[in-house]
Amino acid sequence: MTKEEAQGAAEEEQQAQSKKGLKKQQKEAEKAAKKAEKQAKLADEQQSTEEDDFAKDRYGVSAMIQSQQKLDRVLVRIQDLSPEKADQLIWLRARVHTSRAKGKQCFLVLRQQQFNVQALVAVGDRASKQMVKFAANITKESIIDVEAFVRKVEQKIESCSQQDVELHIERIFVISQAEPRLPLQLEDAVRPDGEGEEEGRATVNQDTKLDNRVIDLRTTTSQAIFRLQSGVCLLFRDTLTKKGFVEIQTPKIISAASEGGANVFTVSYFKTSAYLAQSPQLYKQMCICADFDKVFCVGPVFRAEDSNTHRHLTEFVGLDIEMAFSYHYHEVIDSITDTMVQIFKGLRDNFQTEIQMVNKQFPSEPFKFLEPTLRLEYTEGLAMLHEAGVEMGDEEDLSTPNEKLLGRLVKEKYDTDFYVLDKYPLAVRPFYTMPDPNNPKYSNSYDMFMRGEEILSGAQRVHDAQLLTDRAVHHQIDLEKIKAYIDSFRYGAPPHGGGGIGLERVCMLYLGLHNIRQTSMFPRDPKRLTP
Amino acid sequence: MSMYQVKPVCGSHITTDLPTCMYNLPNVHAQQRNSSTSEHALQNGEVDPAVKALEARQDEIMRKLYELKAAVEGLAKTVSTPDADLDLTVSSSLSSQSPASITFKGVTDLDTLLGKDLGALRDIVINVNPAQPPLTLLVLHSVLCQRYRVLSTVHVHSSAASVPPQLLSCLGPRHADSYARQMFQLGFTLIWKDVPKLQMKFSVQNMCPVEGEANVARFLFKLLSPYPSDPAVATLVDSWVDTAFFQLAEGSAKERAAVLRALNSALGRGPWLAGPEFSLADIACYCCVLQSGSASSSPANVQRWIKSCENLGHFSPAKLFLK
Repeated sequence: MTKEEAQGAAEEEQQAQSKKGLKKQQKEAEKAAKKAEKQAKLADEQQSTEEDDFAKDRYGVSAMIQSQQKLDRVLVRIQDLSPEKADQLIWLRARVHTSRAKGKQCFLVLRQQQFNVQALVAVGDRASKQMVKFAANITKESIIDVEAFVRKVEQKIESCSQQDVELHIERIFVISQAEPRLPLQLEDAVRPDGEGEEEGRATVNQDTKLDNRVIDLRTTTSQAIFRLQSGVCLLFRDTLTKKGFVEIQTPKIISAASEGGANVFTVSYFKTSAYLAQSPQLYKQMCICADFDKVFCVGPVFRAEDSNTHRHLTEFVGLDIEMAFSYHYHEVIDSITDTMVQIFKGLRDNFQTEIQMVNKQFPSEPFKFLEPTLRLEYTEGLAMLHEAGVEMGDEEDLSTPNEKLLGRLVKEKYDTDFYVLDKYPLAVRPFYTMPDPNNPKYSNSYDMFMRGEEILSGAQRVHDAQLLTDRAVHHQIDLEKIKAYIDSFRYGAPPHGGGGIGLERVCMLYLGLHNIRQTSMFPRDPKRLTP
Repeated sequence: MSMYQVKPVCGSHITTDLPTCMYNLPNVHAQQRNSSTSEHALQNGEVDPAVKALEARQDEIMRKLYELKAAVEGLAKTVSTPDADLDLTVSSSLSSQSPASITFKGVTDLDTLLGKDLGALRDIVINVNPAQPPLTLLVLHSVLCQRYRVLSTVHVHSSAASVPPQLLSCLGPRHADSYARQMFQLGFTLIWKDVPKLQMKFSVQNMCPVEGEANVARFLFKLLSPYPSDPAVATLVDSWVDTAFFQLAEGSAKERAAVLRALNSALGRGPWLAGPEFSLADIACYCCVLQSGSASSSPANVQRWIKSCENLGHFSPAKLFLK
């Protein structure tokens, strides 16, 4: 062993540039080897005492499941374990969350997603000493099958989600063993900020969590976040479908940059190059021109912005809406805000356990909203900021701190975390934004905010080819590059408007989290391309 | 004076030979009877006109200072407690004007009442618990709508469980121009919310929230007409408003009966509750009488007064809730 270590050290010196990770891996491998040796020894010992192990076919590492046989065994879900099931003999598959051996008995906490239950192996007429020892040695996060009696408990088990019952294990088999050394401990990963420092316990930093996302995603917090995210998507689709919207799919590889020219990823496309779509904007609009009336799409959006902030990703999921309206673009605002309110209501009513779960680690005030949604005009927002002592020009865009301040002011007065700011200055919006009919300084465009951060930006679009050309010229955009876009409005186009929402941002802000990487399953930012 | 009188020990007409190298002082005892206390006498018993002028000037300055102090206090009051009376200078300048008429023609200027217009809608936000619809405020809202261009919006806060549809339309149909917030002088935003006490927010920066329906009603009424300049009448209005909310709306049956008797005798003296003019006192009492359901069983003068109130036509929004 020492020789091996020396060798390892020598190798490391040779590879001066090798990273910490390599070192770690090597160490882990060594440790595993050590452990294996130990286990082999243990096994030897066990073999020597095999004769008096009466329970030897009640435990063990089962052969790898290659679908050898199809059992009719019914596996019970942990969440269904209730006092009604008391004294039944059941089979169950779960992960070992924690295990604790205490003399002649061993307590295990078995986990399925966010649910867990306490299980017990005790030396008796059904379990031998060796079986208890085996159970105690199962590594954390291993997947096991157990057969057990459900028993009611006198005292509630506070640490588990199933507080009224525990399992008395009859048989225990390991289905898939986890490596003994975990890159991060689940308890550490869900510990609230600040609490760890006081008690001298470890917390896991963001990068470690993201590097080991598979394990991090097993935590109750991550489980809740992504279940809620799935809920947002479902509610978005349901609400819009009910409103008569059609879901469309748009290409992500495009020939020309859609919004301006900056911030696009270039990819090689056979003999030429192409871009990754920054937004499905043009395609949504073309669908409107093609008489789909109301459309939405859910899909990835790419932004080559080198900004390392808490709320920017280079790839995220866009929830995009576009619709033709009759006379006024407020019809579009009403549709979008109502959709958002339905989502908030659905989350409030159906995802309370998930919200509570996330709040345990990241406490935040419950999300508040008004129905119908509050709509303020840009000038009103500016007046509120002026009153609070902020100096800024009439036609200036809101800076991020001002956005947040305005969010706080609005929250104070109206007590809502969600509102619309309408009538932005024309100068700060893209060329396809429809100007205000009464005041050329302003435009028919709007932003929506959650907890003081922008989640949606939208507008009535120019649907007249001539005006669009004028606006493009005014913005000094090369007409050749957007010819196809302008041409799509030449054959009759209904007045329309829309907007796009970032799914990750909605989840982050709804839950009051502080980093968008927590609500992106495998986040992509300028510094992270893996996993 | 109940004191013993003692005869002078020595005669008062003793003449003494005084040296001329000293100042002459007038007789202190003799002077007591002659000069008034406020006037300073000279050695020879006469008042110097220069001192008199100085004294007059000082009095004038003191008076001005007191006035200034009162004005500043009044201003401070309106700033720190928005439902306080208008400051003294304003009320004294208004004292010559006749109080508000029934149609509220009294001079009110939104700029002076609500602060300078910053080019944005002045929005009054009122949080109300759906369990207690604020009848008085709804009435005042409809009167405000006749007076100003008011943008009325109703929202439901996420904390309110269920709100009956009639509450959602309590401010009447949507204004045809409601898409352009800039076209309105005043915003009236009603939010049905789970609040223990009705609450009004106007300027979050300069003003704390106003709590209680009575206080919000006072605030809104001031947008229609100034409070009576006579402090006695103003106090009378205030006291009727409090009586209405504390004893009619929330009080026991006994208290209600007492208030109805008091109303009856007050209305025996004049057509309206506070003075010769229709005022906030009438609006508040009318709404609370209606809400308590004692309108039909009330005494004669009250019945007559209810009729006259109804003839004004301000109360249709409140009646919607009582059916």
